[in-house]
Amino acid sequence: MSVLARTRTAWAAFGIAAAMLGLAFASVPLYRLFCQVTGFGGTPQVAAQGPATAPGPVAGTRIRVRFDGNVRRDLPWEFRPVEPFADLAVGERRMAFYRAVNHGDRPITGVATFNVTPERAGRHFVKVQCFCFNEQTLAPGQAVDMPVVYYVDPAILDDPEARGVEEITLSYSFFPVPEPRQPPSIRATDMAAMRAGRPGA
Amino acid sequence: MATTFDAHTEAAHAPHDDTHRLSFAERWLFSTNHKDIGTLYLIFAVVAGVVGGVLSGFMRWELAEPGMQVLPWFTQGNIDQAYHLWNVFITAHGLIMVFFMVMPALIGGFANWFVPIMIGAPDMAFPRMNNISFWLTVAGFVLLCLSMFVPGPPGGNGAGTGWTVYPPLSTSGHPGPAVDLAIFSLHLAGAGSILGAINFITTIFNMRAPGMTLHRMPLFAWSILVTAFLLLLSLPVLAGAITMLLTDRNFGTTFFDPAGGGDPLLYQHLFWFFGHPEVYIMILPAFGIISHIVSTFSRKPVFGYLAMAYAMVAIGFVGFIVWAHHMFTSGLSVNTKMYFTAATMIIAVPTGIKIFSWIATMWGGSLRFPTPMLWAVGFIFMFTIGGVTGVLLANGGLDTYMHDTYYVVAHFHYVLSLGATFAIFAGFYYWFGKMTGREYNEFLGKVHFWLFFVGTNLIFFPMHFLGQQGMPRRYPDYPEAMAGWNEVASWGYVVTAAGMVVFFLNVAASLLAGRRAAANPWGEGATTLEWTLSSPPPFHQFETLPDFTRRAPAH
Amino acid sequence: MTLTLASVVRALRRLGLAGAALAAPSLAEVPAATPPPMPADLVSGPAAADPVTAPVPAYAPLKPDPAVGQPQPWGIDLLDQVTPVGRQALAMVHGLLNPVMIGISLLVCALLVWTVVRYRERANPVPAKFSHNFRLEVTWTTIPALILLVIAVPSFRLLAAQYSPPKADLVVKVTGYQWYWGYEYPDYGGVSFDAVMVDRAEAARRGAPYLLETDNRLVVPAGKTVKLLVTAADVIHSWAVPAFWVKMDAVPGRVNETWFKVDRPGVYYGQCSELCGTKHGFMPIAVEVVPEQQFLAWMRAKQAEQGIPPSGPGIAAAGLAAGTTPGA
Repeated sequence: MSVLARTRTAWAAFGIAAAMLGLAFASVPLYRLFCQVTGFGGTPQVAAQGPATAPGPVAGTRIRVRFDGNVRRDLPWEFRPVEPFADLAVGERRMAFYRAVNHGDRPITGVATFNVTPERAGRHFVKVQCFCFNEQTLAPGQAVDMPVVYYVDPAILDDPEARGVEEITLSYSFFPVPEPRQPPSIRATDMAAMRAGRPGA
Repeated sequence: MATTFDAHTEAAHAPHDDTHRLSFAERWLFSTNHKDIGTLYLIFAVVAGVVGGVLSGFMRWELAEPGMQVLPWFTQGNIDQAYHLWNVFITAHGLIMVFFMVMPALIGGFANWFVPIMIGAPDMAFPRMNNISFWLTVAGFVLLCLSMFVPGPPGGNGAGTGWTVYPPLSTSGHPGPAVDLAIFSLHLAGAGSILGAINFITTIFNMRAPGMTLHRMPLFAWSILVTAFLLLLSLPVLAGAITMLLTDRNFGTTFFDPAGGGDPLLYQHLFWFFGHPEVYIMILPAFGIISHIVSTFSRKPVFGYLAMAYAMVAIGFVGFIVWAHHMFTSGLSVNTKMYFTAATMIIAVPTGIKIFSWIATMWGGSLRFPTPMLWAVGFIFMFTIGGVTGVLLANGGLDTYMHDTYYVVAHFHYVLSLGATFAIFAGFYYWFGKMTGREYNEFLGKVHFWLFFVGTNLIFFPMHFLGQQGMPRRYPDYPEAMAGWNEVASWGYVVTAAGMVVFFLNVAASLLAGRRAAANPWGEGATTLEWTLSSPPPFHQFETLPDFTRRAPAH
Repeated sequence: MTLTLASVVRALRRLGLAGAALAAPSLAEVPAATPPPMPADLVSGPAAADPVTAPVPAYAPLKPDPAVGQPQPWGIDLLDQVTPVGRQALAMVHGLLNPVMIGISLLVCALLVWTVVRYRERANPVPAKFSHNFRLEVTWTTIPALILLVIAVPSFRLLAAQYSPPKADLVVKVTGYQWYWGYEYPDYGGVSFDAVMVDRAEAARRGAPYLLETDNRLVVPAGKTVKLLVTAADVIHSWAVPAFWVKMDAVPGRVNETWFKVDRPGVYYGQCSELCGTKHGFMPIAVEVVPEQQFLAWMRAKQAEQGIPPSGPGIAAAGLAAGTTPGA
């Protein structure tokens, strides 16, 4: 009943509100982490680079990986997979290409986001190398092939939720980056290492 | 018993109270008296309710028949702008009714008025903070109204984002400042509500009269305590989410923008982490009010007091772990959907406890049916209908069809427009004499009830049919086949509006020429402390605190 | 007003019939125009006709059946379902949820009416004083919980069914734009087109409901599992067709998948179901489900139209001649 007790209660209540506000902001990194760890929302796994990371094909297994490419409406690019899908064994390490063409009349930098469906396959789909880790700048009319190295983790065969998945779709969406921060050139250095003589560069 | 509070001594003090020394500005602009602030909130809620109601009137008028007939009047015949204006109207209608009508009426109005009195406190814990809460809410309302007149999307004025303000529609889809104003509006209203919540929690925890333990506290005070905690835990999350929206819009952050690694779905998670508790924030105080009215006019104590109190606590708690049922079609995994389906359905259990306990309170009672009791009984039935459709919608698999259709619109209007609003009117008539010192006109009150009851049912029941036929929400036009039920709903609005005219007539007539209200016009059933005070209560009540250390208060 | 509306609807329908008959042969006319008559069970798949020797059935756009796949005047119920998942869900609503909802509402109504009549002041001047009954409280806690358990079983089963599609026979990419839908068939050389709402006159000409018809429809084969990859290019949209029990948000920056398998040829309509700006209400979805041979004929014609070499499952086997023009 004292003023002190009131003040204490009020500050405690205020502290709860402030903590919830902090939690709201903390949710941004926490949500990202949660998605990366659990594959929530169809977030694929990212493996450390190196040839030894892929576990190798599991005999007698077959899974189809479908590739999907999107561009946001205000990005004058064409962006699509070179092949719509690939059939491979679980655990097998593969490379796929996407082709991007800048139809605009000025150099444009884009950045890609990605997810896989069905959602429950996210935690078993592993990307070893990917253009999506970097911003990409294309000169007007320039076309490039962008590689992705990936495999499907054999753990999918033991996952009761994801065991029945016969086809996994890997989707990229390119968004424009407001201002090109560097001269127009392909900055994906890991890409150059993987594939010499890229077209149009 | 000598120290027990006595209405007559208290009334005798009235002539000496401060009201006579306060100028108009001091009393109504810089008010620190919980009853005056409550009155201000109620007047504000009525004004906002009229604005929101007129908006919905234009919406129903537009939907009365297929094609665009009404909104193009506002846009010089430009159909595209009329389409956008529709989105502005639904957005403003939703935000106004939630933040500036229901919440101010139930929490700012009735709770400010009666929570201190019911727990035997002389005022709120922080009277000046109480004043700030009110004016923040008013400022928020002004900003929201302003947002309708400044540019939103290319070629249109106002925020047409829906009350949920999902990005990217609210970011890249609305480059103009309208959405910024709407966000500021929510910031202010939210800040006001958080301060209010802190105030209520402090008041209820520290200022109960001697012997008024938590388990002896009237259910309305319980409902406000739970509501205040919901506000405290949920509103900061909304504040954070819309702040991130604001910086995404203006300062190049990418919290919700995939171009910078953000995720628009995170906004939906944050919004509904607030949004679902918010619907309980709107209905729990209504539960409290209904409990008192049912008990008063049954002349019987509330059935299962503890179960009633803890059912509200349970509803409040579960309300925080069900948010993603608003996102069933956003691409959640099957396990996530199963969890949220199950958690959501659980809410039906404490809600059922409340419905059956109200009926059990009436059972065996000696029932009278003045206007507040009509609203209360109407509430119980209408809320049941809104509740059972909620059980259907809780099923993730079924919601695939129902999501974002008029079925959902029907559902949440049954729990809000026919639930919370019924309770607001019930409380308004129940306490009208107490607050104003004048009796309302019983006949007009009943006419108001029946018109409103028939009207709102005519509006919202056909919406179940439209939703089952697949009509999506937030649509300004519809195929010919949907004309029939839409026309019925629009006629329902006319009936409802007629009811509101009767309401305003009643208020005007009663204030001008109503009979003087007795301290307790409802008789032996009305047992809470406000009925021991004069009508209206003295400017400062309980100069001698009531003492319940030896005599338990009725609840 | 009601009468006027009904007559307007009828008039529109008559107009639509006449218009469609002028414009293109309707489904009913197809067998007569294309020998040999198409057996109704073509739905069952390519085995129905010898792929090499069977003559190629020409594609003709279907005429919508006003009783199927679209709202009905004064309709009150869920639309008839044409997918297995839809029928399962509809049975759950009709067989379980609706009875439970109506039953509980009637119970509460009856209890209220009874208390109001029996315990009104005149009938019961002296109120009872009880305020507790432990057994009663336990009862009305456990019985609703049991009812919810009963609901949860088919509910989980339905969710499981929605999330365990058969192997996809056709994949369609769906992209939401402000304010139309884009469709692409990645396995058929990337055939793609946009679907924009048609005006009132065109809708009437096709015998289709205004606000629901699009210039190009999404065409898919009957009896086949169609997987949709749904995304958006600007703001969030939602692809929904009530008759399929399908609704999936189209979120920019990510792809969502859903599926349907329609056994009955016909035209089914849906509308964008997530607020997406000014013309949110005017980007409908029209899905034309046709027998597989018709689908292949349509696809071949589309490929020819878009300069895509004949490719994709079933195209070569169907022996379709290049250059077949689409029906309309």
